[in-house]
Amino acid sequence: MKLLEKILLIEIWKGLLLTLKKLLLDKPVTIQYPEKDKVIPAPGFRGRHALVRDPQSGDTLCIACMRCARVCPSQCIYIEYEIDAETKKRKVKRYDIEALRCVYCGYCEEVCPVNAVVLTEYFEYAGYSRDEVYFDKDRLLKNWDEFIATQKRPYLNPFWKPRGLPEKYLPVRKRNFTGV
Amino acid sequence: MDLSWLTAVLLLIIFSLVLLILALLHVAYLTYAERKIIARMQQRLGPNRVGPRGLLQPIADVLKLIQKEDIVHPHVDRPLFAIAPLVSLVCAATGLSLIPLWDRFVLSNFNVGLLFILALSSLSAYGVILSGWASNSRYAFLGALRASAQVISYEIAMSLALLSIVLMAGSFNLQEIVKAQVASPFKINLIPQIVAFFVFMISAIAETNRVPFDLPEAETELVAGYFTEYSGIRFALFYLAEYYGMVVMSALAVTCFLGGYAGPFEVPGLPFFWFLLKLYVLLFFYIWVRATLPRYRYDQLMSLGWKILIPLALVNLFVTAFIKLMF
Repeated sequence: MKLLEKILLIEIWKGLLLTLKKLLLDKPVTIQYPEKDKVIPAPGFRGRHALVRDPQSGDTLCIACMRCARVCPSQCIYIEYEIDAETKKRKVKRYDIEALRCVYCGYCEEVCPVNAVVLTEYFEYAGYSRDEVYFDKDRLLKNWDEFIATQKRPYLNPFWKPRGLPEKYLPVRKRNFTGV
Repeated sequence: MDLSWLTAVLLLIIFSLVLLILALLHVAYLTYAERKIIARMQQRLGPNRVGPRGLLQPIADVLKLIQKEDIVHPHVDRPLFAIAPLVSLVCAATGLSLIPLWDRFVLSNFNVGLLFILALSSLSAYGVILSGWASNSRYAFLGALRASAQVISYEIAMSLALLSIVLMAGSFNLQEIVKAQVASPFKINLIPQIVAFFVFMISAIAETNRVPFDLPEAETELVAGYFTEYSGIRFALFYLAEYYGMVVMSALAVTCFLGGYAGPFEVPGLPFFWFLLKLYVLLFFYIWVRATLPRYRYDQLMSLGWKILIPLALVNLFVTAFIKLMF
């Protein structure tokens, strides 16, 4: 029997039959991404960076606490701030993210006490030059506007609340946050 | 000048042009068919960008390959380097002129046609060896050595398999072989000569350096084997030769084993119908095998050739001769 199997190439015919079955019966599983099939990222997908725009003031929510810049493992966030003489509050002067260096770990949005910085679910932002993915403050705010226009409100990013931490240790804004 | 002689020459030129264009189209769309079929077998889509369903892909490929930079390494042996792909291509392609596509369409009805095709397919090894040597690169040279060893060892098995067909028909002329098949009780040589057909098909796959016998290429070890140093259209010529070889080998198999153009019955108005149908089935088989089987190891390849196929073909030849002698 073993010999006959060897002579008649049974195993090879089995393999050939398998590929023939695939040819005749199975449909391709390829996604034709830009034209036919649209890819919808899972909620909380970490895509293009944005600074959340405060609906009241129209400016960023950022309070220049520097936590994101400090926690960033690839150190791609650059912040400069000034202190307002009257209110004694910090005010962001410069907020840059060098997206080419970013590793998309999401630590910045987890650590932010006011949910100001976000990795949005927007993923189609390939560019032809490095400048196109170097985001300054205005660009980050614009990114947010572009992104939120596509979202059903309220938008709540699951990465805004770090998992595994008791609720009471979270900053107030983080605890109360229900979305934008 | 004799006018009939002139018309004969003109007819020959027209016939060869028709054959050349047909064959080139077949080769071009064979690459398309291969990509499409293998894609389907692996549940991909295959080419679908250029033209409807990617049908213009072969033409786009040719345009791209012509435009590509022609890199010639300064240390190569230039004349041989330039000739080698042409040797491969011409040797692979010339065989087609001897195949009877129809009882009224054969370019050269040569009385040792089969022998000539075998000689040409052995000659195509020269293209491989020359390219490997002229490239002045050890990858290319190793690939060429492997290719030549492989081609020589499988050539023997193939010739032996075809010899039993010659014994059956009593002629080297391919037209005669087809006619002898029609006259025989089985109508095709496949039934009495199934062993020879088996040996022939395997040798033909090895001869054209196709998967699972594509060891001269061996991208993993040799970075593409004997054409490592070739770029652009020169590289494409080698590929053209490979696909041409496939077409010629399949056409030869159709002629010698499957009854050629004279199939089970005549289809009026479609002279090449049976020939093309059988040709396409065999070409599909090549592609099918490529999509299924992994590559052989070199020692396995050699032992399959020398220890199994050649003895098998020899025994088959002796049995055929014995039966021929008895009855």
